[in-house]
Amino acid sequence: MFHSLLLNIRLFFRGAVLSYIALFRWFTPPAYLASKVIAPLSYMLFFVVLGTFATGKESASFYIIGNSVQMAAMSGIYGVTMSIGGDRWDGTLPYLFATPANRLALFVGRAAIHVLDGILGVFLGLFWGITLLGLDVSKTDPLVLSVVILITTFSTSGFGLLLGALSLLTRNIMFVNNTVFFLLLIFSGANLNLSLLPEWMQTISWSLPLTRGIASARKIISGSAFIEIAPLMGTEFLIGVLYILLGFLLFRWFEFKAKRKGTLEVM
Amino acid sequence: MNAIEVDNLRRIYRPVMGIFRRKVKEIVAVDDISFYVKPGELFGILGPNGAGKTTTVKILVTILIPTSGSARIQGFDVVREAEKVRPRIGFILGGERGLYWRLSGVDNLRYFASLYHVDPGISKSRIPYLMELVGLEDRGKEKVEGYSRGMKQRLHIARALLHDPDILFLDEPSIGLDPIGAREVREVVRNLQAEKKTILLTTHYMFEADALCQRIAVINHGKIVALDTPEALKEVVKDLHIIEVEVFGIPSEVIERLQAKGFIENLAVENVEQRQVLLIQTARGSEAVPDILAILNGLRVGKISVREPTLEDAYVRLVGNKGE
Ligand SMILES: Nc1ncnc2c1ncn2[C@@H]1O[C@H](COP(=O)(O)OP(=O)(O)O)[C@@H](O)[C@H]1O
Ligand SMILES: [Mg+2]
Repeated sequence: MFHSLLLNIRLFFRGAVLSYIALFRWFTPPAYLASKVIAPLSYMLFFVVLGTFATGKESASFYIIGNSVQMAAMSGIYGVTMSIGGDRWDGTLPYLFATPANRLALFVGRAAIHVLDGILGVFLGLFWGITLLGLDVSKTDPLVLSVVILITTFSTSGFGLLLGALSLLTRNIMFVNNTVFFLLLIFSGANLNLSLLPEWMQTISWSLPLTRGIASARKIISGSAFIEIAPLMGTEFLIGVLYILLGFLLFRWFEFKAKRKGTLEVM
Repeated sequence: MNAIEVDNLRRIYRPVMGIFRRKVKEIVAVDDISFYVKPGELFGILGPNGAGKTTTVKILVTILIPTSGSARIQGFDVVREAEKVRPRIGFILGGERGLYWRLSGVDNLRYFASLYHVDPGISKSRIPYLMELVGLEDRGKEKVEGYSRGMKQRLHIARALLHDPDILFLDEPSIGLDPIGAREVREVVRNLQAEKKTILLTTHYMFEADALCQRIAVINHGKIVALDTPEALKEVVKDLHIIEVEVFGIPSEVIERLQAKGFIENLAVENVEQRQVLLIQTARGSEAVPDILAILNGLRVGKISVREPTLEDAYVRLVGNKGE
C-alpha cells in the first residue's frame, strides 16, 4: 500500500520531468526564451501604451500586473495542453493506455513542471514591469504575492489539463488554445475593468481561472493585506481543483471511448 | 493453465465515412477466432495485410474491446480484469511510432519503467541489461528521433520487457526492416524464447513464421484457416508439385481458363517487372506441363520449372494468393 503510493509519487515526478521534455514542443532554448521574454514584454508594452493612452498614466500598473499574471496562461494553457495531447503525435497512446499506471498520477503529473514554469513566467513579467516600466512594489508583501501566483498558476494549469483532455478528442486544438488564450486576455480582466462588461460576460469571467488571481495580485501589490484576498484565493484554488477533476473525467472517458471505437491511434 | 486463451473472438469496426453524409460501414476485422498458447510456446499468427492480426493483438493487450467472444491471459479476462493482465504482458505493435522521439532511448525506458511501476532499484540495472539485449547499449543516450527504423523497433522490444513480463506480443516485429535489421530482430526473439517467455508473434512472412514458431495459426479475412506446426502445415501440399512458369503479358482470361482446369489445385500470379510468374500447384507434376503450355499457346513463355512444395506454397494454398 505504502509502497504503491511511493511508486505513484515517483511516476508523478518522473512523468512531470520527462513528459515536459518529451512533449512540450517549444522546448528549444530560443523558443523558450522568446516565450519568457519577448511574449510578456510585447503584451505588456502593447497594453500599457494602449491602456494608458485611453485611461491615463496612473493605470500603467493595472496593465503591467494583469499581463504579468496572464503569463501563467502561457504555460498553463499551451504547455499543459501539449503535454497531454502530444502523445497523439508520438503515437504513444496505445502503449500508455496499456500500462497499469495510475491514471491520475499520470495525468496530473504532466502539468507539474508547467506550474513551476508558469510561476517563473509571472515573476519574470513582474520583473520586466519593475525594471523597465517602473512598477511600484514598495507596499507589496512578497510572500503573499508568491502565494497568489502559485495558486493562480495552479488553477490555470488545471484549466489547461481540461483543454489537454479535450485536445485528445479534437484535431483543432491549436485553434482552441489560441482562442482560449485570447479570450482569457479579455475575460480575466488583465486588460480591462471587468465591471465594464455586461453581466453575462462577468459571469464567464468569474468562472474562469486567472480572474481572481489578477484581481488579488493588483490588491496585494497596491498594499492590501492577505486577509482581503483570502476568499478570492480560496475560490481560485477550488476552481483549479474543479477543472482538474473535469479534465480527468474527460481523460478517462477518452480512454474508454477510444478502446471501444478503436481510435487510439487516429492522428 | 494456458498462457493465452481466445474463445470465439470477434471485432467489428464501424468507421464513420464522409463529413457531411455520414455513413457507417462495417468491417469484420476478426471473425470468430479461437486458439490457445501454452506457457513458453512461441506461437505465430500468419496472414496477409488486413487479415486481422493487429486487431487480435490489440484486444489481447487490453487496448481494444472485442465486439464479442472472450480472451484470457494467465486466466485473467482481458476486458473485465485488464488491470491484472497489464503487468503480466509486454507488447509491441509493428512500426516506428509509439516512442517519445525527443527523449533518449534510455529516458524512454525510464519513463515506461515508472508507468509500469518498476522499482527504481530494479530498473537501474534492468535498463542497461535490456539495451544490451537489443544491441543498443552504445546509442542509449541519443535521442530516438535519430534512430533508424530497426533501432526503434528494437527499443520497442526493450520497452516491452521492462517489467519482465511472462508473455510477449510482437506484432510484425520485422516489418519495414532491411534484411539485416530483420535478422537482428529475429535473433532477439530467439533469445527471448530461450528465456522461457511465452511469445505470440504475428507476421506476413511465411519463412519468418517457419523459422521461429512452434505452432502457426494462418489467418485470412479475420478467420483462422489452418492451425498447426509448420511441418503439419506443409502436409496440405505434400502430394502436390509446384510448376513455375514465366510468361510475358498474360491476359486475365487465360488465367481464368487455367484456373478452371481440374488438375490445377491452386494458381497464384506474381508480377515481376514486365513478366509474370505463374505458381501452379498440381498433383500431376511435370505431366501437367504440356496441358498448361497448350492453354498458354501464342504467349511468350520463359523459364519453366517443376519443384517440391515449400511452406510458402502451403501458405499460398491456405490464403488463396500471396495475399497482396
Ligand atoms: N481502427 C480501425 N478502424 C476501422 N477499420 C480498421 C481499423 N483497424 C483496422 N481496420 C480494418 O480491419 C481489418 C483488419 O486490420 P488489421 O487487424 O490491422 O490487419 P493486419 O494487422 O492483419 O494487417 C482491415 O480491413 C483494416 O482495414
Ligand atoms: Mg497489422
